[in-house]
Amino acid sequence: MAKSLYENYKNFPKTDCGYCGNTSCITMLRRFCSGELPLSECIYFRAGLYNVNEFSCSPPVPRGTQKPSISYIRPCPTDADRISVEVSLLPPEGSKYGYFDMITLDNIFNHAVPGLRISPSLGIARLESEWGDVMGFSEGRVLIRRASNESSAFWQLSRFVRSLWAAVS
Amino acid sequence: MLDTESIRKDFPFLRQGCIYLDSTATSLTPEPVLNKMLEYYREYRANIERGIYKAAQIATDAFEGARAEIARLINAKPEEIILVRNTSEGINLVASGQGLKKGDRVVTTILEHHSNFIVWLRARKRVGAEVKVVMSDGEGFLDLSDFERAINGRTRLVAVTHTSNVLGVRPPVKEIVKMAHDKGALVLVDGAQSVPHTKVDVKALGCDFLAFSGHKMCGPTGAGALYIREDLQEKIEPLCIGGGTIEDVGIDHYRLRQGPSRYEAGTPAIAEVIGMGAAASYLMEIGMPNIAAHDASLTKKVLEGLQEVPSLTLYGPKDPRKRAGIFSFNLGRFHPHDLAVALDAAAGVMVRSGHHCALPLHKHILKLDSGTVRASVYLYNTEQDVEVLLSALSEISKTML
Repeated sequence: MAKSLYENYKNFPKTDCGYCGNTSCITMLRRFCSGELPLSECIYFRAGLYNVNEFSCSPPVPRGTQKPSISYIRPCPTDADRISVEVSLLPPEGSKYGYFDMITLDNIFNHAVPGLRISPSLGIARLESEWGDVMGFSEGRVLIRRASNESSAFWQLSRFVRSLWAAVS
Repeated sequence: MLDTESIRKDFPFLRQGCIYLDSTATSLTPEPVLNKMLEYYREYRANIERGIYKAAQIATDAFEGARAEIARLINAKPEEIILVRNTSEGINLVASGQGLKKGDRVVTTILEHHSNFIVWLRARKRVGAEVKVVMSDGEGFLDLSDFERAINGRTRLVAVTHTSNVLGVRPPVKEIVKMAHDKGALVLVDGAQSVPHTKVDVKALGCDFLAFSGHKMCGPTGAGALYIREDLQEKIEPLCIGGGTIEDVGIDHYRLRQGPSRYEAGTPAIAEVIGMGAAASYLMEIGMPNIAAHDASLTKKVLEGLQEVPSLTLYGPKDPRKRAGIFSFNLGRFHPHDLAVALDAAAGVMVRSGHHCALPLHKHILKLDSGTVRASVYLYNTEQDVEVLLSALSEISKTML
């Protein structure tokens, strides 16, 4: 059975050595999952330290629309007087393996922004603030929760995305 | 034991590789059930109880056959099964049909789903019925002595869940039934979370009403059942009347039929009821004790695993023997919705988040404003599903808190 990206990543070398020509192991894995690269590109697999057969991956399932879009969820499922906004950003042309490179993001910010947490292994960034929470996913989706109104949601979105754009795949 | 691998092949939804841990909200539907419903639309698409042509007779037989299978699932007679849309409609039928009046008492519990709670508050508002809510302890356990005090001579009904949809606790319904009957009160059991997972025998339980939904037991949405003990049917007014419910109609009178059809006005959800009957057969063929044993084995694994995840707060009993396969929890300061989204995005794990239609329980017992994340297991879940959930939670805990 094909495993999720995260399940595969758990057992991956995770050295981010760059010998395969990718910025990080997660990028290498994404390109493997999208059928762009074989695992033999990785020196650890070539050296027989990892078994190719233990890794199987289907291309990431598109979640929601793949076109750039914005949708408002009113009311926010838990807070009736607030709204949630989901934004899908346009993946770079030709990219099959995501939008934000969370490894690079983690290296840049490394807990430097209060309330910002980045999980390279899960491909998620989350910013917790008093104005609501924002989550970004490596495939280019951004979710703004519990914003008080649309303009507040936009403000949070621009603030968050400006940070994440530091490391577009 | 269950052959989970072969069972999983029956569920087309699982073929996309997702991990479905939200069967408490709604279960997946297997091919035999889907096929049975399609067969109706393709081969004998006619109304029931009306036409005398062959297709109409086949449809009627299939519909009544489904009623018999649903009855067999809970050891009732087919005449005791009222086909409704879902558990909520079944409970509403009892609430409105019982003829509650000012001063009558209804006893319910803090564990209830809104469907078995707000109907009683509405009865208080509409007719002045008195509603007594039995509280639980922090883990969701109810004290029988509280029922002893709550049920008095004016109590018409005790409405209690068979399994909490948040904490997984199973109230001592058999003892509650005995206590209520001793004081002349009837008992309505919300079986939405118990009937799909374990052998429920209404005769052994002794309850007067049992409501449950098809969509939580591998059936389609839009079909559910209400068991009404045979000798009570004359005393409960239908929620709706109309076509199919009458024996005779004149210009200034009408007389309702006997039996379940007096409650089933208009053309019912025929395909869905046939599907629910097929789901009952599917579950019985696998064996309810086998399903219960499979749930119990996964429950043990989930409980042990969740307690090892750093910063995770698990609600409800920690002893796997005292709960069903329903697990509500929170992780650090992560909002339940954000955690559910993270599990979906990172590991393809589908879980429910929020209040699970049980606000009074969250407010008064769990003291949580934002709700919880809820994972739940069923016959198609595997140990591997549980491992992915646990490892994704550990990874979130490690990297995102």
